[in-house]
Amino acid sequence: MNEYVLKTNHLSKKYKSTMALDKVNISIKKGAIYGFIGQNGAGKSTLIRLVCGLARPTAGSLELFGDTSERALIQTRKRIGTIIEGPALYPNMTAAENLEAHRLLKGIPGKECIEKTLMLVGLQNTGKKKAKNFSLGMKQRLGIAIALLGDPEFLILDEPINGLDPMGVVEIRSLLRKLNEEHDITILISSHILSELHLLATHYGIIHNGKLIEQLSLKELNEKCQQYLHIKVNDPNKAATVLESHFKTTNFEVMPNGSIKMFDPINPPGEVSQTLVQQGLVIEELMLMGEDLETYFSHRIGGVQHG
Amino acid sequence: MGNLLKSEWFKLKNDQSFRVLAILLTTVALLFPLLEFDGNQPGLPTIRGYYLNTVLSVHTDIIKLIPSILAGFFITSEYSLGTMKSIVSSGNSRIRVYFAKLIMFSVGAVILSLILPLIMTGASAIYFGFNEMPSLTFYLQTVSLIAFYGAGFASIMMIFATIFTDSGKTIGFLLLLFLLVDWPLQVLAAKVPFFEPVIHNSVFRLVYDITNASQLNTSEWVTMTLVPLLTFLGSGLIGSILFYKKEIK
Repeated sequence: MNEYVLKTNHLSKKYKSTMALDKVNISIKKGAIYGFIGQNGAGKSTLIRLVCGLARPTAGSLELFGDTSERALIQTRKRIGTIIEGPALYPNMTAAENLEAHRLLKGIPGKECIEKTLMLVGLQNTGKKKAKNFSLGMKQRLGIAIALLGDPEFLILDEPINGLDPMGVVEIRSLLRKLNEEHDITILISSHILSELHLLATHYGIIHNGKLIEQLSLKELNEKCQQYLHIKVNDPNKAATVLESHFKTTNFEVMPNGSIKMFDPINPPGEVSQTLVQQGLVIEELMLMGEDLETYFSHRIGGVQHG
Repeated sequence: MGNLLKSEWFKLKNDQSFRVLAILLTTVALLFPLLEFDGNQPGLPTIRGYYLNTVLSVHTDIIKLIPSILAGFFITSEYSLGTMKSIVSSGNSRIRVYFAKLIMFSVGAVILSLILPLIMTGASAIYFGFNEMPSLTFYLQTVSLIAFYGAGFASIMMIFATIFTDSGKTIGFLLLLFLLVDWPLQVLAAKVPFFEPVIHNSVFRLVYDITNASQLNTSEWVTMTLVPLLTFLGSGLIGSILFYKKEIK
């Protein structure tokens, strides 16, 4: 059985003189919620468009559920549900009619799935209200409902929480988590709301200027974003001995520049500073540091931009 | 292909522009014959004369212009709404997507093209007391040819509706094209002898011969029926190649 739902191999897309996607190697494991992060124009939508068959790559290849040939990929796309650059709705149709048009398109037998899907996204009571009169949040939920028709194994959602109110964001988050955990649906989600992505994704890909600059799991990200106590003293070796003997911990790291990163969060900074001073050490710097996804992303992008 | 056709038929049935155009044409078809009851007229026309001189006199404009509006709303709007993205990524080949859309758009164009010949003739027959009906053969011949040419023109419209991604541009361009195309084609046929037989045997020229259906010989009938069919297939092929290569935005 194929472990990966999506894999790309040096996937590139060039528009005239602009390299929209440059030799991207992305891999999404079955069962993952893959957060795709990048600034506007970084190449997120270009990659999604290539995966969905809306554009053709200039070079490289992509593998969807193990299939690589163009003919096989067309068939394999029946196994995915998509929202690409906003929900695709017929404004003069009701929610149920929109789903019916897509049900017929996908060849799904029976109309029962329409009511079931509307209930899943909380749009069962919209009646004869046309999609053009829906709020932005309702349109997003209808877009997700369309993507969910036919029980896809892989959901590709480009900015699915744009325009949602806080309650709507929470609802969509819990819906996506439920789909992932209970229905084993793999999800690729791109969003600018990184704090929200951090609450949902199990894996991350950071793209910048068409290049995939990092791919990491939630565990790896948490390790990189872990809070730590930054300590700089006049004698780092003595400080390390003090920390080990007094706080019974080895969960710290002496950096090449002589500073110490202490990862044990149970020791309050005040207690650490008091102990070090009592042992005759001179504290030059002591502060609690750490990154969230947003700052980590900014540093990675900044590093690339200025590197 | 069956799924795609069902989906396109569902969308056509629910398309607001199609409904509005159909209702407008039906209203015109029902009300226009009543103008013959104007007191200044010497008497009521015969149905045969009314069909030939009034109903068929506007059929070329109906075939060419009214479906142009439908093309903008039914086809091009799929790009501007973003729904074409979900159609293309739904696991159907682009060639099938194109032909399913072309077939249903042609059905819509034919329905609109036949409203006047069917309803206006029926209404006038009732209003004028079934006075001298056109021969059934002539009536069926003209109605069939209108349907054929409606589909032929629809396939040409579909190419431009695929090239443009904005409904307004499609409608504007198609209306201008079909209003003005006869004149440059005539000039081209006169100036370049190579094009003369092509243009004279194209849908643009032959559509005007529908009213002469009763006077056509066998070879002219073959030309009259084959040309729209070949136009449909040729334009469908060109359009599907363009659609196959098109980047959906």
